[in-house]
Amino acid sequence: MLSVKGLKAKVGDKDILKGLDLEVGPGEVHAIMGPNGSGKSTFAHVLSGREGYEVTAGSVDFNGQDLLGLEPEERAQLGLFLAFQYPVELPGVNNTYFLKSAVNAIRKARGDDELDAVSFLRLMKERLKVLHLNDSLLKRPVNFGFSGGEKKRNEIFQMAMLEPKLAILDETDSGLDIDALRIVAAGVNALRGPERSMLVVTHYQRLLDYIKPDYVHVLAQGRIIRSGGKELALELEEKGYSWITDGEAA
Amino acid sequence: MSAAALTTRPPDPALLAWLGQAGEPPTSADEPAWLAELRHDAAARAPDQGMPTQKSEGWRYTGLSALIEQGFKPQQKPISALQSEDLDKALIDGLETYRLVMVNGQFEPRLSQLDGLPTGVHIGGLAELIAQDPDRLAGQLGQIAGAGQHLFTSLNTANFADGLVMLLDEQVQLDRPVELLHLSIGLDEPSVAQPRHLVVLAAGAQAELIERYLSFDQAPYCNNAVVEIRLAERAQLHHYRLQQESPSAYHLSGLYLEQAAASRYRGINIGLGATWSRTDLVTRFLAEQADCGLQGLYLAGDRQLIDYHMDVQHQVPHCSSRENFKGILHGKGRAVFDGRVYVARDAQHTDAAMSNRNLILSPNAEVDTKPQLEIYADDVKCSHGTTVGQLEPEMLFYLRSRGISAPLAQRMLCLGFAGEIIDALGPEPLREQVTEAVGQRLEQSPL
Ligand SMILES: Nc1ncnc2c1ncn2[C@@H]1O[C@H](COP(=O)(O)OP(=O)(O)OP(=O)(O)O)[C@@H](O)[C@H]1O
Ligand SMILES: [Mg+2]
Repeated sequence: MLSVKGLKAKVGDKDILKGLDLEVGPGEVHAIMGPNGSGKSTFAHVLSGREGYEVTAGSVDFNGQDLLGLEPEERAQLGLFLAFQYPVELPGVNNTYFLKSAVNAIRKARGDDELDAVSFLRLMKERLKVLHLNDSLLKRPVNFGFSGGEKKRNEIFQMAMLEPKLAILDETDSGLDIDALRIVAAGVNALRGPERSMLVVTHYQRLLDYIKPDYVHVLAQGRIIRSGGKELALELEEKGYSWITDGEAA
Repeated sequence: MSAAALTTRPPDPALLAWLGQAGEPPTSADEPAWLAELRHDAAARAPDQGMPTQKSEGWRYTGLSALIEQGFKPQQKPISALQSEDLDKALIDGLETYRLVMVNGQFEPRLSQLDGLPTGVHIGGLAELIAQDPDRLAGQLGQIAGAGQHLFTSLNTANFADGLVMLLDEQVQLDRPVELLHLSIGLDEPSVAQPRHLVVLAAGAQAELIERYLSFDQAPYCNNAVVEIRLAERAQLHHYRLQQESPSAYHLSGLYLEQAAASRYRGINIGLGATWSRTDLVTRFLAEQADCGLQGLYLAGDRQLIDYHMDVQHQVPHCSSRENFKGILHGKGRAVFDGRVYVARDAQHTDAAMSNRNLILSPNAEVDTKPQLEIYADDVKCSHGTTVGQLEPEMLFYLRSRGISAPLAQRMLCLGFAGEIIDALGPEPLREQVTEAVGQRLEQSPL
């Protein structure tokens, strides 16, 4: 599904990713943990094609496609989805119109018919329920004036609408209250399936109680320095990062 | 040499052509004396006002040479080639209005729809009314505009042939908007039409007026329109102005507005068309508690100049004014915004705010924005702000990360930016038409 080899990237003249390797198979859920500033969001952005990063080495293969050569929209059309750590407000852009444009752009690229207004509305209603989102948010501009938690839920709602093959959730749990965390996790779990993989970036073990990962990785100083199963997250929760990173530096 | 001599120049042949060969307006013998005098005064004033040059402040960024080179001439005869099938193309689906249609500056009763007007309302052609009731408009027509902001108002006064007259008695409310549709058809000889409109709302009357400019072909022509509006105490007018002339058209428009106590005016100006356009919006408050809102959206691309000049005169206390204009510039498009608010020494408790925000989509586009607040009173609330910026890369990325192509993402953000103004257009079909027109323009034109 996703194969990252020796990925190096910089912003300006600052090296951030310094040889990152990661293999994600179909249907797998991988958690990525790591200290602040270690490069987790940078990795997510490089995967989704955000401007401003220069990839200096390595490769990213996504279902047989060289991801790094594609525009952001082409990556999304192939089934990549990023739930932003900081979702962007789009003043004046109606949420429903935005979603419909996105769903249909992706359907069109896949060779499916565009959804008509009725079927789109039906799909939207159905997915809204799972996330306990108030449908008044759909009439508002995208993320505009949304609370922190509403923004995060709106990201997962978009994911539910777009049905990606690989979803990257960048700290979707931060800023959520306990109930919202449960709802969002349930929404994510509802989307788990043999064909859908996930990269879950988080600082907290708590989220992983709800979304059980198959693998846990530690990203520090621009590389994956430790990989393991669920128990690694528990260990990190207990001991912090220093027991690994110190060993690494030595 | 006087200051006027520096900023204007003597009338040139083009100007004389507009005034008619002899420099005398085409007064017909049937016209009432007051109108002949009005025209005569305007014609006499025009050479003194002179053709503005780019040395005069109000025309610094708006050259007139292209307009003059076209050599537009006044129209000789009314055109009646237009059929009702043609009209259908110009109408907006779902928009129910009382409709007055002007074709090349002449009222076209055949294409108009004025049945079922309530009592207390007069809506009809200007020439027709003057013929039927010669003195009805004496002391009204021409009084609000006066000498006007510049030469072009005088040229209109001296030469206008026809227009809309809309008079509402006290407390009258219209059940539908009034639509004033200007249709232009190119003639063999590039011509100028000079429609003249008068709207008077008596105390407490309320109405919506839609003023539209459309073309049927790509031949060059010029519209030099003047609208005079007087709102009596507590009268309210919503005025939607859609300039969608053809890409080869020249468009001049002067709006002169007079507001009595507690009257309310809302003007939404949409400027999408014409290769060259200049609009002057002039407001004068006559008494306290009057409220004037001027909003606008302009979209200028290749071979396009769109100029909006405002002059809001606070001469009396306790009035409020808002100017809120947004612009989108692409290709080699150019726009000019000059918002002037004048607050006289006696105009205490004035509440005035002015805002002009611009999105520049291409490095070759340009906007010259100038907010002017001239305040001589000391107890007022006044603010202004202008911005010129680009689309946020973050916003574009967010949309593209959802599978939306870069051009569509740009269009969505532009429409989002424009939405605030478009949403102020009352009737839904009008909002839809403008949204579609803006979307299409952005889709077809190079960004
Ligand atoms: N545009 C930029 N210009 C300069 N430095 C940047 C830029 N973007 C990221 N960085 C730096 O790159 C490093 C990695 O940032 P990144 O956001 O990927 O970290 P992170 O692991 O997601 O951290 P957090 O857990 O706090 O979200 C940080 O030191 C950050 O300051
Ligand atoms: Mg981060």
